[in-house]
Amino acid sequence: MTRWGKTVFLTLVFGMTAAPLLIVAGVSLNAKKRMFFPPDGVSLRWFPEIFETAKWLEALTNSVVIAVSAAFIAVSIALPIAYFLWRHKVFYAKALFVAGLVPFALPPVITALGMLVFWGEIGFVGKMWNIMIGHGVFLVTLPLVMISLGLESIDDEIVEAARTMGADGRRMFATVIFPMVLPYMVAGYAFVLVLSMNEYIISFFLGQHATITLPVQVLASLRSGYTPVIAAVAVMFILFAVVVFSAVARFGDLPKLLGAWTPKE
Amino acid sequence: MSDRAFRRPPAAGRGPVGRVLTDGLVAPLRRFPFGLYPTLMIGVFFMIPFAIMFAISFAHRTESTYEAGFEITHYARFFSPLFTTHLWVTVQFAALASALSLVVAVPFTFFVSRLRRRPQVVALVFILCVLTLSEVIIAYSLSVVMSRSGGLPNVFEWLGFVDRAKSWYPSYFANLFGLTFFNIPFAVLVLYPACTRLDRELTEAAQTMGASPAKAFFTVVLPLLDRTILAAFVLLFVFTMGAFVTPTWLARPEDTMMAQLIAEQALGRGNIPFAAALSVFFMAVTLVLSLLAVRLRRGDRTSGA
Repeated sequence: MTRWGKTVFLTLVFGMTAAPLLIVAGVSLNAKKRMFFPPDGVSLRWFPEIFETAKWLEALTNSVVIAVSAAFIAVSIALPIAYFLWRHKVFYAKALFVAGLVPFALPPVITALGMLVFWGEIGFVGKMWNIMIGHGVFLVTLPLVMISLGLESIDDEIVEAARTMGADGRRMFATVIFPMVLPYMVAGYAFVLVLSMNEYIISFFLGQHATITLPVQVLASLRSGYTPVIAAVAVMFILFAVVVFSAVARFGDLPKLLGAWTPKE
Repeated sequence: MSDRAFRRPPAAGRGPVGRVLTDGLVAPLRRFPFGLYPTLMIGVFFMIPFAIMFAISFAHRTESTYEAGFEITHYARFFSPLFTTHLWVTVQFAALASALSLVVAVPFTFFVSRLRRRPQVVALVFILCVLTLSEVIIAYSLSVVMSRSGGLPNVFEWLGFVDRAKSWYPSYFANLFGLTFFNIPFAVLVLYPACTRLDRELTEAAQTMGASPAKAFFTVVLPLLDRTILAAFVLLFVFTMGAFVTPTWLARPEDTMMAQLIAEQALGRGNIPFAAALSVFFMAVTLVLSLLAVRLRRGDRTSGA
């Protein structure tokens, strides 16, 4: 295998991964209410239909509201844990950190069932905030890992300098630490935002047909028969992820966020 | 120092449990009161639900719901064919899909980690987009590819491989392909940090000595990544075991996987105690495997040297 072989291999994998997405994009352009690929006539009429049909609009609104709040909850839980561990390396902080890693390692169906019986016992089922908190706790791992990365990259000398200049803990956090971890918080927020928008099983379990999110609506519509609107929704999902992650890559250090090794000076 | 305030000598008569609680929990939280909020959030909305689920797995099932009780009937059902066949199916799919996705992901990630920065970032954005894409959307797009009206079967008919195009899903193959496809971006992200740490000079040295890039990859890179790949396999295995939407959409009914079984029992049949028992078992397996993966990654050869 030469350099050429390597390029062919990379292109092949990219092509294979992108192919189904491109086909869905093609299907979404169908002019008639049938699923054909290549599309049978070209029209964009399925995209406005997402915003004009009540059930799609409701699902979209639910998903957006849930994702925005869940991402906020996740970051709000992750920041104190990461800072706690970084500042005071006590056993309790480590335990909290590990507790924050567990949700992501477990199969989501277990978390979904656990949360369902919890809300069932309390007597609130199918509420939107069930899913908000559910996603916030389930996805806390991502901002937690990212904010910790950010804190670790802070130079000891900077902290020392702030302390010598007389900054107390609170002041140091507000003027030095917080601005430095802010990009990592934003990245963590973005990751939770996208994952929450796409999450199916927790939304399905906790929504209980009362609160329906976009992925749940997509699967329900798939079951009752294809329409190109589903493909249009899929295209919207893809574009949304492209926009968010491009922004993260544009304003932050994406390889580093994903754990790439960077040489220390 | 404010530290002194809570370094009081232990009160007389305090038992070991009390001491553990005060020193392990109260003291750290006094030093950092903001730690209370994440403790409560994770405790109330994650730990307590699991405790309730654990309790329910022993509860007595009634017509429509369950009532308090202590019985191990739900765990006893683990010996029934209903459970064992689906467990075996799940293990098969998880093992095959994880291995297949690694065959693609290992060389792919290695090459991506060797790209210059700009194309590397573009590749990562692409991988993240596919990774976070809803399982619903991926399963759907794959079903379009494999459907009679819009995809590969038509191409095959046109090429003359088959006389009449027919849908390729649901089938064993379709589900395996879907799961593998879904795993690839995840595998890439798991392997990426270790790949970036690999010393460039090693492969360069191999190539200077006359090895082709392929030979350098198989004789230098792969042996260095062995533990990383094994750890990735375990993580992917756990990840695939929890698959729900892909098998719902692409698999035949006889290939129902564990997550589907849990959802079916809980929501379809209202047998929450049995679903809870299944979840408890599933969670134990997952935790053991995850710990194994963590141990394997600790012995990662790319980090230490």
